Amino acid sequence: MSEAILPLRTAAPPRFSEDLVAVGLGLVVFLLALGSLAGADALGWLVTTSVWTAPSTALAPVSKAYASLGGAGSLLATYLVLTGVLSAAAYLLGDDVKRFAAAFTAVFVIAYASWFVGSWAYLAAVTPADQAKFGVSWSLKLTNEGGYIVALLAGLVIANAFPAFAERLRSAVRPELYIKIAIVILGAFIAVTMASKLTLASSLMLRGLAAIVEAYLIYWPIVYLIARKGFGFSREWAAPLASGVSICGVAAAIATGGAIRARPQVPILVSSLVVVFAVIEVLILPFIAQTFMSHEPLVAAAWMGLAVKTDGAALAAGGITQSLIQAKAAAEGIAYQPGWMLTVTATVKVFIDVFIGVWAFILAYIWTNHINPRAGAEKAKLGEIWERFPKFILGFVATFLITLALALGTTVGSSGQLTAAIGEANVLRVIFFVLTFFSIGVMSNFRQLWQEGFGKLAAVYLVSLFGFVVWVGFVISWLFFAGVKPPLVS
Amino acid sequence: MPKPDLREATSAYEPLLPIEKKLIGWSLGAGIALLALLVVVNHFVPLN
Repeated sequence: MSEAILPLRTAAPPRFSEDLVAVGLGLVVFLLALGSLAGADALGWLVTTSVWTAPSTALAPVSKAYASLGGAGSLLATYLVLTGVLSAAAYLLGDDVKRFAAAFTAVFVIAYASWFVGSWAYLAAVTPADQAKFGVSWSLKLTNEGGYIVALLAGLVIANAFPAFAERLRSAVRPELYIKIAIVILGAFIAVTMASKLTLASSLMLRGLAAIVEAYLIYWPIVYLIARKGFGFSREWAAPLASGVSICGVAAAIATGGAIRARPQVPILVSSLVVVFAVIEVLILPFIAQTFMSHEPLVAAAWMGLAVKTDGAALAAGGITQSLIQAKAAAEGIAYQPGWMLTVTATVKVFIDVFIGVWAFILAYIWTNHINPRAGAEKAKLGEIWERFPKFILGFVATFLITLALALGTTVGSSGQLTAAIGEANVLRVIFFVLTFFSIGVMSNFRQLWQEGFGKLAAVYLVSLFGFVVWVGFVISWLFFAGVKPPLVS
Repeated sequence: MPKPDLREATSAYEPLLPIEKKLIGWSLGAGIALLALLVVVNHFVPLN
């Protein structure tokens, strides 16, 4: 993904880009987490939610050192600190801080309430042993990460049934900011996961190359051809649409729109479609994966990265798929190490993101030199590659490399201290995921599909996505990941 | 600059230019070749 996506009405010009703000916040969380290696438990007050039947037992601080805070205290502390820090981020992004803080309060309350509901034993308990432990006779077996789906549904209800309220939340509905911060933190979590199985991890990286080839060189030309020849779209519309369907949704559509010098509203209209379809995918594909691919967890995880558009939705789908498949496997007595499926989805997605700048440059070169050559018009410059490079990925790479070096080269890695430290940061990563899910829901106004002319655009998307993107993604995931299982819990 | 309208997206037919055909052809060709190469690599360096 690259720079900020769907336009917000900002109070002032942004002082920093969304990517840089996300990297800054993600790195602060990461460094605070590492502080516990030196004895400073700076994140232990964060709230976590366990599976519950009695609500009063659900919440607790992540670290026992902060047990005196209690569940309600840690929830309040988490809310206050997040509101303060994200309000500062809103200031840097040129937003009205008071308006953001008010909207974020509602966003946090609804999103975390959704997470809380998702941890109810009737939704989350997985194994018969769990059901017996919580005294429930049945369960939807969604694991506590079913809270993501609850958050998404809550957002969808608000967007489609209470549009005026959705508009009031708008300034704090920033899925791109939340997911970018989460991805920076995720780098550390993935490194800790990978350090235990370095050979498998390096092999996964190699498979990330297949994702780049598939997204840019297989999906893109086919979708472009369908849009141009099959549906008669003009070049200005077909190129952002092809990028939206093929690459990483919203950001790719906007980068392409800029590259081919399309009017700004074109990629934005395409983007709104991308978000709606991404939500549909998140609600459907993980359950298909659980039903048909529970014995091929990494195939399912790679499939989510290749088929679901937008980073937030893809990682969301990866997270849900991981929960659902782990739950099904646990019911069969198989305990996969957590994190590997999400790692595969994230690896696939990050590899695809990295190439956006290069692809935008190629399109810019072709459009400015061959398709729309105008005397005196600005030509594509090599600097556009850097300009469109998704900078938040640098944060992801930094946390990944630092954590991997600590895990492999120091005693804190082998002693389990590092895993515990990154585990605390991971609590915030989960909260940012929940905020992302809720925000994606709030942005998904299905009434847009009834706008005049939108049907044809949606038809290209539908034909491309469910006609071949989903299936080709599945075949390629199968080719590279079939037969490989995540390590088991020892 | 006029604001885009979804109705105008398909109102005037623009034929595929040779450069667009080249872009589609070369992308697909390179993509299939590279994927085949990666499948071969995957065969000799399998995931464990």
